[in-house]
Amino acid sequence: MSWLVPLPIVLPLVGAAVSVLVGRSRSAQRVVGISVLATLVVVAVALLVEVDTNGTVVTEAGGWAGPMGITLVADRFAAILLVVAELTLFAVLVYAIGEPGAERNHVGFQSAYLVLAAGVAASFLTGDLFNLFVAFEMMLTASYVLLTLGGRHDQVRSGMTYVVISLIASTLFVTALAFVYSTTGTVNMADLAGRLEELPPGIRSALAVLLLVVFGIKAAIFPLFFWLPDSYPTAPSPITAVFAGLLTKVGVYAIVRTQLLLFPEETRPATLLLVLAACTMVVGVLGAIAQDDIRRILSFTIVSQIGYMIMGLGFFTVAAVAAVVFSIVHHIVVKTALFMIGGLVDHAAGSSRLSRIGGMVRTTPFLATLFLVSALSLAGIPPLSGFVSKFALIDAGFADRQYAVVATSIVVSLLTLFAMTRIWMGAFWSPPEEATVAPPPPNRSGGPVLMVVPTTVLVLCSLGVAAAAGPIYALSERAAEDLMDRHAYVAEVLGP
Amino acid sequence: MTLMLATAAAGLFGVGTYLLLQRKLSRIIIGLSLLTHGANILLITSSRRGDAPIIGAGGEERFADPLPQALALTAIVINFGVAMLLLALAYRSWILTHDDEVQDDVGDRGIAKSDVVHDEVADQQQVIAREETS
Amino acid sequence: MILLLAAFAVVGLALVAFGARLGRRAFLVGALPMAATAAWVATRLPDVTDGTTRHESVGWVGGLGLAVDLHLDGFATTMTLIVTVVGVAVLLYASRYFAPDARDLGRLAGLLVLFAGSMVGLVLADHVIVLYACWELTSITSFLLIGNRHDQARARAAALHALLVTGAGGLALLGGLVLLGQAAGTYRLEGILAAAPSGTAVTVALVLVLVGACTKSAQYPFHAWLPGAMAAPTPVSAYLHSATMVKAGVFLVARLAPVFATQAPWRPVVLAAGCATLVFGGLRALRQHDLKLLLAFGTVSQLGLMMVLFGAGTPATTTAGWVLLIAHAAFKCTLFMVVGVIDHQSGTRDIRKLPALRDGWRPLELVALLALVSMAGIPLGAGFVAKELSYEALDEATFLGHEVVLVAAIVGSMLTVAYATRFYTGAFAGPRRRAAGEPAPLPGETHRDPSPTTELSDPTLPIEPVDPVVVVKPRAHALTNTTAEVAVVDPDPAPPAPSFVAPAAALALVGVVLGVVPGLGDKLATVSLEDFRGSVPAVHLAVWHGFGAPLLYSALTLAGGFAIWAADRRVRPRLAWASKVPSGAEVYLAALRALGIVSTRVTGFVQNGSLPVYAGVIAATAAALPVAALLAGWDWPGWPRLGPKREAPVVIVLLTAALGAALVRKRFSAAIFLGVVGYAMAGLFVLSGAPDLALTQAAVETLSTVVFVLVLRNLPERFERQSTPGRRIGRLLIAAGVAAAVFVLALTSAGVRLGNPVSEEMVDRAVPDGHGRNVVNVILVDFRGFDTAAEITVLTVASIGAVALARAGRRRRDGEPVPAANTEEVRRLVFVDVSVRVVFHAVLMLSLWLLFAGHNQPGGGFVGGLLAGSAIALRYVAGGIDEVRGRARFRPWTVLGTGLLLSSSTVAAPLLFGGAVLESAVASLDLPLVGEVDVNSALAFDVGVYLVVIGMVLMAFEAFGEEPKEVAPR
Repeated sequence: MSWLVPLPIVLPLVGAAVSVLVGRSRSAQRVVGISVLATLVVVAVALLVEVDTNGTVVTEAGGWAGPMGITLVADRFAAILLVVAELTLFAVLVYAIGEPGAERNHVGFQSAYLVLAAGVAASFLTGDLFNLFVAFEMMLTASYVLLTLGGRHDQVRSGMTYVVISLIASTLFVTALAFVYSTTGTVNMADLAGRLEELPPGIRSALAVLLLVVFGIKAAIFPLFFWLPDSYPTAPSPITAVFAGLLTKVGVYAIVRTQLLLFPEETRPATLLLVLAACTMVVGVLGAIAQDDIRRILSFTIVSQIGYMIMGLGFFTVAAVAAVVFSIVHHIVVKTALFMIGGLVDHAAGSSRLSRIGGMVRTTPFLATLFLVSALSLAGIPPLSGFVSKFALIDAGFADRQYAVVATSIVVSLLTLFAMTRIWMGAFWSPPEEATVAPPPPNRSGGPVLMVVPTTVLVLCSLGVAAAAGPIYALSERAAEDLMDRHAYVAEVLGP
Repeated sequence: MTLMLATAAAGLFGVGTYLLLQRKLSRIIIGLSLLTHGANILLITSSRRGDAPIIGAGGEERFADPLPQALALTAIVINFGVAMLLLALAYRSWILTHDDEVQDDVGDRGIAKSDVVHDEVADQQQVIAREETS
Repeated sequence: MILLLAAFAVVGLALVAFGARLGRRAFLVGALPMAATAAWVATRLPDVTDGTTRHESVGWVGGLGLAVDLHLDGFATTMTLIVTVVGVAVLLYASRYFAPDARDLGRLAGLLVLFAGSMVGLVLADHVIVLYACWELTSITSFLLIGNRHDQARARAAALHALLVTGAGGLALLGGLVLLGQAAGTYRLEGILAAAPSGTAVTVALVLVLVGACTKSAQYPFHAWLPGAMAAPTPVSAYLHSATMVKAGVFLVARLAPVFATQAPWRPVVLAAGCATLVFGGLRALRQHDLKLLLAFGTVSQLGLMMVLFGAGTPATTTAGWVLLIAHAAFKCTLFMVVGVIDHQSGTRDIRKLPALRDGWRPLELVALLALVSMAGIPLGAGFVAKELSYEALDEATFLGHEVVLVAAIVGSMLTVAYATRFYTGAFAGPRRRAAGEPAPLPGETHRDPSPTTELSDPTLPIEPVDPVVVVKPRAHALTNTTAEVAVVDPDPAPPAPSFVAPAAALALVGVVLGVVPGLGDKLATVSLEDFRGSVPAVHLAVWHGFGAPLLYSALTLAGGFAIWAADRRVRPRLAWASKVPSGAEVYLAALRALGIVSTRVTGFVQNGSLPVYAGVIAATAAALPVAALLAGWDWPGWPRLGPKREAPVVIVLLTAALGAALVRKRFSAAIFLGVVGYAMAGLFVLSGAPDLALTQAAVETLSTVVFVLVLRNLPERFERQSTPGRRIGRLLIAAGVAAAVFVLALTSAGVRLGNPVSEEMVDRAVPDGHGRNVVNVILVDFRGFDTAAEITVLTVASIGAVALARAGRRRRDGEPVPAANTEEVRRLVFVDVSVRVVFHAVLMLSLWLLFAGHNQPGGGFVGGLLAGSAIALRYVAGGIDEVRGRARFRPWTVLGTGLLLSSSTVAAPLLFGGAVLESAVASLDLPLVGEVDVNSALAFDVGVYLVVIGMVLMAFEAFGEEPKEVAPR
């Protein structure tokens, strides 16, 4: 089954090439995009089943065995995230096709989107630190293009911030790679796991922290996240949705992967992580409360939620890591759905500023329901998926006697609820201002069918995550056990 | 790694960072390129340097380590592509604003002064006001 | 039980979704699951009273010990019966209360059913987390129900207040329950009670749990949300905010008290909160003109009493609490319904405006009397039984401070009598006497003219925009409320239809029955008690408790109560301080304000929208953290050697040019300096034995300089110096810090090198396995070809993006280049043209040679492509964009696409033949100019790279090659 592993990377690349060639016909491009991503959903599920039953699948690019060649490693963690990612990418692509607007019609949209998909998949699957850098570059370059397609003034402005900050991260990444190679003479992760252990503690923890900073910028943790709320809201809503759902989580993935795999227990910057996590949660949610624009509120809650995941990682226990895996899954789905709903609100009410819109619980009751479910899930209200992840984190945290930071996270979840109710009241309950004449929504469901359907599907998925929380959490637990057992990974990749 | 090259890398990083913290995109781009140059120096000095690693040309024991070269080459080309994208941004920003200045985010303006919970507070005051009969 | 809960969920959701078309019948449908549950529980009664507890369990998240564990024991039975019976009554009542054409009735009914479901789940839960889950669900449904009239600002505010307070309490509860569960080693309620853990963690946990209970059951100082919640329609208030939801906290306390009451924090917290609530609630109730608010504060007060009785946790007090729980549910719900009827018929609830009610109203008056008798604790009312029991229990109790509690209970009961009387006279007697022209002792008639808001005792009334608060800043929310229907007071309201009164009557009768023959409850009371503490002596509920202290206290209570009411006018001023007592509402308001201020200040500080600041923070962090980590366990490897002399000039040029690029104020010169840095890098690469790198660097530098200049020619010539000295110093500091960090890390990391680099294997295998002598190229296209594939993808996307941006706004047929008119043809000098063409082809050949030879000599796809690119640049210099377009036979898009397709399919192809991705196949063929070479599929890959690079260069000229057509006005 090892042939499954490269597909999520290679297929979109071929697809991107084709859709560049057929650039004259949008419909052909769409067919390519849809069919590739649909296939990948199936592939990802198959891979997950395979990995979960028969254990980690390793394949060497070009048949060159690691550490010399580039190895692709699909363990449970990667496979789980891959499934969620492909699902989200697929849903958002449909949504994007359904959205009226110029951006998606640009000749470059489909190819850039596919490259993004390839980059995300590669980041999850690669077992090679430099290849991870290249994968990031694929993902990021595509994201630059998607963010600025259309070239509106605000897009250019936020594009500058986004691109520059990301490039700083990339340069830091290369720097880190240089130091890593200069100390260990390898870039293969499994090999590094072995060699970094022998380094003197000083330089080793320096490398750990440097990598943390590199990925922390992408994952948007305090104090490296300021770029996010400025850049995400300006993109077209499908793009924002996929960025919000996936890109930051890829950063989190990289943090989890590198911190757990590359570095031995004693170097792990647990305290640093917990402090950063607390700041991220608090500053993020305060930012959310301070905003008036739905997209900005949601963007800040991304940051705040990232804090939860970093906190879980900071505990460095199997239970906590399992909670992190689960909350990544939950968060990708819910957050993407929320941003899609935000786009629909914008579409139906003609604005996403709370002070301008209102009364949508009457005009678009279905949309209101979708939002309520997702928002409550984000705020961790039982029995939705957000509660399971929150409870898992609290349980693990108290078990680890980390009372202070867990208490913070509990308070933050109340503030998150407040931020969500502000959207609910502003957009759905309170009557709209007389000034704004909101265009009557096309239908009670609140938008074009091709936009509403994928949104609904994602919301149903989040309900599914809650309903199937048992098996999913069990899976996350197995994934966490793999993650905590570095030597098993090394053995899988380099052989015993 | 030699002291000289460490200095060179550090110098490039320093100057690059200085330019990075400016408002003109073209300066920022220059700064970023300097940073990448610095990073590339760190890459090629991250392992043994020597003769060109071309088999048959010379003694393999004096070979420079080929891997960092390959990595650096990849990094260079990637940066070339992205730099072009950045230039396009500058170009577009000039078309729109006649400058390549990176302006501050509009959405962040005045947040510190704004009264976000005004509605909630005012509504709540109504409730209290009418509760206090007498 | 699970099935019943499911039924609640299904019916509720169905009603929310489709109930609209049912109109008022939606409430009847909603009553079905409640009736079913009530019936089922009734059938279980014999078993329950025999002491058998039924358990049901469905797994949820095994890994976290989360499962839906339900149990039906005595106490759960009691509560379930209350919830469902009252629920049925309320829904029947609601089906008459609302106008047939009222909006959102389906949603309302559905939410009521969902609430009932979560409430039933809450009382049946045998798993504290399940209990918490239902707890939160009741908060959410209550939020949605209070905000039912969501176009009214006041309703929204009340809803938010309730949600935030109960939500905060809920989270405290969650924290407490998790701590409790971890201390007990199980989340099963019965397990926790059995384990009865103790210790610091448990102490904290108990405090948290009590906070949760107090918020939910509206204990001081959290009570303020409950009166606000009266903004909800009366049936909702009757159900959630008097009979059921507010009992949740009391219920939880009752569940835990038997085991934990003896632990340190428990009794002080519960009894203090309870007593304060009991007394202050009563005082506030006395001062209300709005009958509904009077009842609301009455509820607060009664909840305080229940909190005390259950919290004290002795068998006797618990029994008293048990009776009070039932009695209160019956009489308070009845009274709410009565108020609803009056309000519905007459259009007001303000006792200063209520019209006299005709004889047709007698039935309702009777119902109200029955309930009031029970509330005031007059004999033959269920309340009397409860009061006697509580006096007795508190009198005999032994725990510290039980005397104080007894006094509080008596005072509270007096107040209850007083406001019960106030209710009766205010609603019925008073208006009649007024109508008869007699001077009615109209309690609460104040000489100060009431504030305008007191007129608005009825949520159906609009919030007048003249409201001083709203005037501060008129808002849409306030404005629209003027459109709400204005209720006028009907001077002679028509008596309500019997079916409208019936539900209230039924509940009132329950109270009477329990008051007359309380013995009916003996068995259930006993088993409910047993749930808490193993076996207990059987309980005997009786009306007559014989002569003794309790009877005395009761007499005292009644006398005192009537006295307070009679002396109201005189007592009033003395009691004015009661409403001065900070009542959580202000605290909540202050908290809300503070939150607003903190959030905006913090956000405004960190999120100031300026890229330089963001970049600066990131740079500083990236420099500081790793170095700090390094210094934590530093071992200095010692200084390395200075390095070969021949490198010195290069480094000097490098740094000087870099400084130059930073200092010059001309964009153009800066670009040139940057180019110099690039070439210096190339030189450095040559010296480092990296010819491929040098070639690539040189070519890249050439191209990017050209592109850079193409862009810069448009931009203003100079950078105007704009930043303050302070900023500049800040920049310098950060820059210096970064430089220092890099220096230290570089030297330290260079000092330690363990093991041999993996590249040695590459060198060994380049020729035998990689079929190439240029190891770097073999790595690029074979060993690490996967990187390269990704890399050219980056190039492709980047160039697409660049063209999209640069040509945004002037796209014909979505982003295809517009062939501009070929104007320059004429002005071109022939010899330039010829020479350029010669050179062009020569360079093109050279680039091809580099491509094919690259596997063995320096060169390869990148270098080749870039060289070809420079050739194209040459054409551009000679003839401008049209020259490039004219000579390049293919559209750049096609070149790009083909290149990408070629290499990506070389990567993918092996998969089709069962090989590893990118696995290379070898063939040996004879090429002109190059000679016999081993060609492997890697070459095809390299050709792809070559094409992509060329395509990219073509795109670059597409993007920046021509003067933009339209530019923003200066």
